[in-house]
Amino acid sequence: MLALRQLWAILKKDILLELRTKEMIVSMLLFVMLTMVIFNYAFEAEKNDLTTFGGGLLWVAFIFTSFLGLNRSFVHEKDEGCLDGLLLSPVDRSIIYIAKMLGNLIFISVVQIAAVPIFTIFFIRYPYYIYWSHMGPFLLGLVLASFGIAGVGTFVATLAANTKRRDLLLPILGLPLLMPVLAPAVIISGAMMGGEVSARAAELVGTSMQILIAYDIVFFVVIALIYDYVLGE
Amino acid sequence: MHDIEVENLNKSFGRRRVLKKVSFSVNKGGFLSIFGPNGAGKTTLVKILSTIEKPSDGRVVISQMVLGEDATEIRKRIGLISHNPLLYLDLSAYENLEFYGTLYGVSGIKERAEELLDKVELTHRRHDMVRTFSKGMAQRLAIARALMHKPDILFLDEPHSGLDPHAVDILDGLLESIRGNHTFIMVTHDLEKGFSLSDSVMIIEDGKIILHKQKDEIDKDEFRETYRQAVRGMG
Repeated sequence: MLALRQLWAILKKDILLELRTKEMIVSMLLFVMLTMVIFNYAFEAEKNDLTTFGGGLLWVAFIFTSFLGLNRSFVHEKDEGCLDGLLLSPVDRSIIYIAKMLGNLIFISVVQIAAVPIFTIFFIRYPYYIYWSHMGPFLLGLVLASFGIAGVGTFVATLAANTKRRDLLLPILGLPLLMPVLAPAVIISGAMMGGEVSARAAELVGTSMQILIAYDIVFFVVIALIYDYVLGE
Repeated sequence: MHDIEVENLNKSFGRRRVLKKVSFSVNKGGFLSIFGPNGAGKTTLVKILSTIEKPSDGRVVISQMVLGEDATEIRKRIGLISHNPLLYLDLSAYENLEFYGTLYGVSGIKERAEELLDKVELTHRRHDMVRTFSKGMAQRLAIARALMHKPDILFLDEPHSGLDPHAVDILDGLLESIRGNHTFIMVTHDLEKGFSLSDSVMIIEDGKIILHKQKDEIDKDEFRETYRQAVRGMG
């Protein structure tokens, strides 16, 4: 029970600080919207059918938006010197990791909730919501991929927080580690936004889901176990 | 009985050795003041003892528990007041105490926080963001934060740094009120303050202990001279 209270205390503190400072969410929302507007003009979305590229465009916007937020996920701990306060307290390091990761997942999800409808209007001729059966797999893919990004991203952000060039380190370390998340995410989102789904595409979506689930479980468990060393070094 | 035992403690950052075979002990209820020039390794020593940093080598036993084996249990019994208040600027004074109280599993958080806010004379500012506090007020709140879980052992890293005389009185009064049952290690540059509060003194120079004695075993002028030489040596 104490572990759950500690987890909630850290998560609540992160949400409260974000609601008060709005440092992370505002920059993430601005970035994702700007990216979509630029894509809209660059690909002349009104003239061309971009259904094939939809998944890719969506995740290019999401991954860099996520990095923008993840880079700031330890800003209060580092800039206000509060990381020592967390390390000093009798909280299992895996609890700190899970709380920070859930906080990042919430912030990423908030941005996605705002961005997906706009993206659909801009780029998709046969939006997924016309095919109600597509909604479930699309959202599940979104949640699984975001979980992976938040999980690995929080880990890399912790490493980066202890360096002077944290803005640089996160994409350099994070992008290669997240490739196994991005490829399936693009496949799932693309297939679900593209109208009718062929048997071959449905099979590919199923395999992609399995890859995401396996990735999320493996990385979540491994990082939670080694987080003590990550924070300690 | 020793409350803190340190044996052959070493700490390196890369090739730089910050602590070199540091060994000492502090009895339960004792008050050790550590002096030394900047960069001597004092803060690193306190960070290791308070489980924030990991030692490269050596053995540390706190309250009969070995650091590295029982770190979580040790953390429940120690508190740290440093020149960095470890407070979230965009949380209120009460929210900071509530946050740390929850992390430490304190029961009756509200009552304990109110009691400490009263002791550090910040009750009237309890709902104000720490961002609006002066340095002295933030440091007073940091004292309350460190005492929230009633630690048995207190590490004080230059606790008087940046405090106005009123805040110094509050800190010294609080320390005095909990003397006896608590064990203290204080890092300071303030010779008078350190000497008056402690029952044993230590000087660290370049990561090594060059003097460690009970206060009544050493002449104050002799101690002052040794400290001056250490500071000159590092300079």
